Amino acid sequence: MRQGRLIATGAMLVFCLFAVWQSSLLSLTDRLGPGPGFFPFWLALIGVVLALALLFTTYREPAAPAADDEVRILPYGVGGMRWLAIVLLMAAAAAAMEVVGFRLAMLVFNAALVIALGERRWWVIALFAVGGSFGVYYVFTHWLDVLLPDGRIWS
Amino acid sequence: MDALHHLLAGFAAALSVKYLLFALVGCVLGTLIGVLPGLGPAAGTAILIPLTFSLDATGAIIMLSAIYYGAMYGGTITSVLINVPGEAASVVTCIDGHQMARQGRAGSALGIAAIGSFVGGTLATVALVVVAMPLASLALKFGPAEFFALMVAGLCLVVGLAGNNMMAALLMTVIGLLLALVGVDPVRGAPRFTFGVEELYDGIGFIPVVMGLFGVAELLLAAEKRQTHMVEAELKSWMPTAAECKQSVGAIGRGTVVGFVLGLIPGVGAIVPTFMAYVLEKRVSKTPERFGKGAIEGVASAETANNAYANAAMVPLLALGIPSSPTIAVLMGAFIINGITPGPFLFQEQPALVWTVIASFFVGNVLLLILNLPLVGLWAKLLKIPFSYMCAGVLIFCVIGAYGLKQSLFDVWVMLGFGILGYLLRKLDFPIAPAILALILGPMMEKSLRTTLEISGGSFAIFLDRPVALTLLAVPVIVVGFLLFKPRSLAPLREGDSE
Repeated sequence: MRQGRLIATGAMLVFCLFAVWQSSLLSLTDRLGPGPGFFPFWLALIGVVLALALLFTTYREPAAPAADDEVRILPYGVGGMRWLAIVLLMAAAAAAMEVVGFRLAMLVFNAALVIALGERRWWVIALFAVGGSFGVYYVFTHWLDVLLPDGRIWS
Repeated sequence: MDALHHLLAGFAAALSVKYLLFALVGCVLGTLIGVLPGLGPAAGTAILIPLTFSLDATGAIIMLSAIYYGAMYGGTITSVLINVPGEAASVVTCIDGHQMARQGRAGSALGIAAIGSFVGGTLATVALVVVAMPLASLALKFGPAEFFALMVAGLCLVVGLAGNNMMAALLMTVIGLLLALVGVDPVRGAPRFTFGVEELYDGIGFIPVVMGLFGVAELLLAAEKRQTHMVEAELKSWMPTAAECKQSVGAIGRGTVVGFVLGLIPGVGAIVPTFMAYVLEKRVSKTPERFGKGAIEGVASAETANNAYANAAMVPLLALGIPSSPTIAVLMGAFIINGITPGPFLFQEQPALVWTVIASFFVGNVLLLILNLPLVGLWAKLLKIPFSYMCAGVLIFCVIGAYGLKQSLFDVWVMLGFGILGYLLRKLDFPIAPAILALILGPMMEKSLRTTLEISGGSFAIFLDRPVALTLLAVPVIVVGFLLFKPRSLAPLREGDSE
């Protein structure tokens, strides 16, 4: 846990340092008053100070009891596989949506996700996949006037 | 009298078939979200935003508000029946609610929760009517310096309640503010932190970020956990006895006051009022030993405070434009999506909208009472929905919500990225609520500060000349500074991130 917090705070420190550098490239003040870089520059600088202080206090914290050390930051085991399935399928659906559109991308996404999460009845999977893609598309585009991607291959 | 006149006009609109339907759909969906363990009101409100894209502004806000307080009640059902809080604020209800269920009194617990929620929510809305307009009139005298100070005070209060995690909360606030500044500078028009990416010129979308940090992150956390065996309690009736109602009267009254007062303070979150109302009830009880063993006053106080808080939290949003919790920040996002800026000008510029929305709170509370008492058994059945379908269903809504606002697949990637980030931050015990509030307040804070400094010719001494701004800045900063260096000597009141 402590190691994870140190890494995360370190990443935030880098983020704030990067923001200091980027905002310093913008004008901090001009003849009208504060420029576009003013607020982010000082804010990022405060962030750097806070991140350093948090790094220091986390580093000085006494070692956690054994039970706390068992808290894993990254997913693992069967739960980890479910976690990975959701993330990878979401990423694949987002990538595919531009090409094949919402309906096909979500059809495959829904079927693959419920299978990955343990469903085995094919007719339930098929029903859910079609309803959650073509059905949802129809409801949102026709009834709720929400535009959803149609995909390049169809246009 | 003016407020009463506007409120009556608001009722006339809120009771139209169209808005009644929106409130009803919102209450049903909100209760559903609350019933499903793991999905809190913030995630629920965020993922259901796409349903409101085609509605007019009033309808959208009515539906999202109904989803919010519906979710606040829905969490009670799982707390009582299976000892799993559907949302963070229902944790306290588990203590006596589930004990009552084990004694065969689940119906009494759920019934008194519905009645307490109705009374607390309705009385808090009455107080909202009385308080909001004078507060907004007062805030109309504020200049940019006061508004900047007010927003700093709001963020400081959120940070101040992070307990021992305050340094991390401050850092998360800064990160949230920095993310809010991505895009074209609103004053000079210069692009900032965009790196030539066209999609970033509009800034990082608030809705994809919230959907990621709450919706996707909560699903990822739930997916990782192993399934636990749930024992369902038997539901014999849904009404408490007359003796139980009499026993709960005091608890409901005290819960309303605690919930309303704490709802006015930004950053308190829903857990604190429910917990404080419960502790207060135990203190005033002549038989405190019954608490934890199925005392109906324990359920009544917590649930009343919960809904009184939910309605009172609308006061800072409507009157000052300050969101007091992540869910209220999502509602504020919905206002902004519809081209409306919440705050003191709202009562002058959009009186029809604001009073219709307030009237709909009353209507929503009645609808929730009608829905929840007889339909408890039906809600309980929803718990049998397998995780795989719930997960896929929620993700479909997340994709539509992230994409639908700007028709940008980039926002779907933003949502996924923030989902993973939210998962890691929660595992590492970094508070997310301050970052969410900072993300929505960031642009307004910057604009207020820069306008103030333009007026003063770049001098910060302007804050010294304005006593209200100075007080609003100094008090919370001093309090946070004090707490920061004395964290271990004070009992932390930790906010649940889902609310």
